[in-house]
Amino acid sequence: MDLALTPEQRAFREEVRAFLAASLSPKLRRGAALTSGVFAEPDIAREWQAILEAKGWLVYHWPDHAGGPGWTPVQRWIFEKECAEAGAPILPGMGLKLVGPVLYTYGTQAQKDHYLPRLRTAEHVWAQGFSEPGSGSDLASLRTRAVRDGDHYVVSGHKIWTTQAHHANRLFALVRTDPHVKPQQGISFLLIDMALPGVTVKPILSASGDHELNEVFLDEVRVPVSDRVGEEGQGWSIAKFLLENERGGSSFAPAILADLARLRTSMGPLTGELADRAVRLQLEAEALEMTELRTLIEIEHGAAPDPRSLTTKLLASEIRQGVEALAVDAFGLAGLQLPVERPFYGDAMPTPIGSPEAQVAAARYLNARAWSIFGGTSEIQLTLIAKAALGL
Amino acid sequence: MNLALSDEQAMVRDMVRRFLADRYDATTMAKGPMSPDDWRALGELGLFALLTPEQAGGLGGGAAEVMIVSEEMGRALAITPLAEAILLCGRAIAGSAAAEEWGDRLMQGDALLAFAPGGALVDGRLRGSAAIVRDGMDAAAFVVETEAGALMLVDGQDSGVRRTPVRLVDGSMAAHVRFDAVQAQPLTVPAGMWAEAQALAGLSIVAELVGAMASLLDLTVDYVRQRHQFGKPIASFQVVQHRCARMYTWLEQSRSLLLKAALAEEEARVRAVTAARAYIGDAALKLAEEAVQLHGGMGVTDELAIGRGLRRVLLLSRLHGGGIAARAALAA
Repeated sequence: MDLALTPEQRAFREEVRAFLAASLSPKLRRGAALTSGVFAEPDIAREWQAILEAKGWLVYHWPDHAGGPGWTPVQRWIFEKECAEAGAPILPGMGLKLVGPVLYTYGTQAQKDHYLPRLRTAEHVWAQGFSEPGSGSDLASLRTRAVRDGDHYVVSGHKIWTTQAHHANRLFALVRTDPHVKPQQGISFLLIDMALPGVTVKPILSASGDHELNEVFLDEVRVPVSDRVGEEGQGWSIAKFLLENERGGSSFAPAILADLARLRTSMGPLTGELADRAVRLQLEAEALEMTELRTLIEIEHGAAPDPRSLTTKLLASEIRQGVEALAVDAFGLAGLQLPVERPFYGDAMPTPIGSPEAQVAAARYLNARAWSIFGGTSEIQLTLIAKAALGL
Repeated sequence: MNLALSDEQAMVRDMVRRFLADRYDATTMAKGPMSPDDWRALGELGLFALLTPEQAGGLGGGAAEVMIVSEEMGRALAITPLAEAILLCGRAIAGSAAAEEWGDRLMQGDALLAFAPGGALVDGRLRGSAAIVRDGMDAAAFVVETEAGALMLVDGQDSGVRRTPVRLVDGSMAAHVRFDAVQAQPLTVPAGMWAEAQALAGLSIVAELVGAMASLLDLTVDYVRQRHQFGKPIASFQVVQHRCARMYTWLEQSRSLLLKAALAEEEARVRAVTAARAYIGDAALKLAEEAVQLHGGMGVTDELAIGRGLRRVLLLSRLHGGGIAARAALAA
């Protein structure tokens, strides 16, 4: 038993470190540090995506047959850890982490050839059309319907909580193609060009004042049948595959630990209850990092994922929320600034009182509440853990 | 990076697990301290020699072996003096004449050494008292850490040693020990060995806690499956499922910090053990409290391993200042 990196892994870490030191401009670092939502804003994200793609490391988590660099699970972890410590932007995951793996796993050759390269160059920017106003945790009850008409589906419905749909030009969506079978069996997975007639995006402003979320209305949108992924009725299995990637595809702890360390620097020395909370969060995050590593190391040595991997999204949500709450408390009244201008790193922002970290703290606190809701609520996660890990 | 046990480590784990499984089940776990005969039998199997450094005549097993053995002890809720007698005192005597006098007997399970913090040297004699000395009634000798921080060995036969029994919450026996001008032999612990001893004793305790957590969760999951109310197993209620799932997250997070501490490089070990103590004690007590709650009335009785497990976890989680002291050390 040991936790030491091999000489090859250490050399790889140095290579990643050197690349990050050379490639992450002050602008990108500042943009990442002052991001108030889950993902970097488009100006920051596009620039960083292009740098990674040029290096060949953008789709580091894809297998080599799909165009990835062929890294092992531990190499991927090293890369994520180094990116987090260097303060790299968090790229939107809808394309890279969600629909990308769906396409190389379930897509036809024509779909792979068309969509994967455009995803990588950011010619296509993806949004996720899963949730509906009446279908959140009970996703299988979704009602957006797709009626076959020759070589097309005619799609009508209403999607909600669509992150960054206002920046996207492609939507992957779950639609009901058969209303007469068990709900899970009547669902299909479609790729929708958002420029098609009948697609309307309406903003939803978050409590923080950020515009991350949207509603997407689909009104008799004609989608070619060739843009269905998998078989008709296979959408639910594909969605489960995708959600497993969303919850467990990469490590949460490195980013939390790095953010906590950066916050500790700008918060200064803490005493009393704040100091105790900071230590507890640090411990939880260190434990989570090891919980994630244990599973990665086992997979690296050929084992199947352990049910413990189901705990990480739940734990990461709570630790993340704890960190943002600590920041608000530690910054005092300065942590309650909530200017309406966006982004926080932009020129239009008023001069921060205290520090830029304090200025962004309240927005980050508010947005972090979504962690325990998106990608399966914490209550859904607990039910999954009880079933898969404990057999209840 | 590799988390698989070596063949030798797996053999040790299986040996300890089999030995304990023959003696402890849900009705006998944590009923009382391990019998001297069983303790001696473990000594004869070579377990204590494995965990003793070579300078003290042992086989020099490291942190991973301490973790593996202690976790099994915890899983059986066995009440033993492993951490203090073997890991702490066994290292305190390494390099001194005391190792020749006591080393073999300690490793064979024939004699116990107990750790007694307290007392001061006055005119070359030890005077004062140690308030609570775990396993102090049965100890053949004491490793004393004086108020000035010196390590000394005191023979339990010395006429100036006075012991008063103190029963602790887990049913183990401690002693209030007074030293009335007793002879104390200075221990010359090799450099770094005492810090190593404290780290390994701390590691052993958190490993026992993780083992105990795993058992208490297993027992609870079994119980909620068979316990029926309102015409169905209470395991079918979502509130019960979620509470069990929470217990599982505490167990896995605890095991992670335990592994990190056991596998830490030497220079990072003290910090990693402190981090494990800072988290695991509280997590284990929360889990034990939940186990009691989910067992209902039976959980608060002395009949089941659950109630007795709570008592054992309470003791282990509060040793050496518990999580409060460990978190304060990390915050400093």
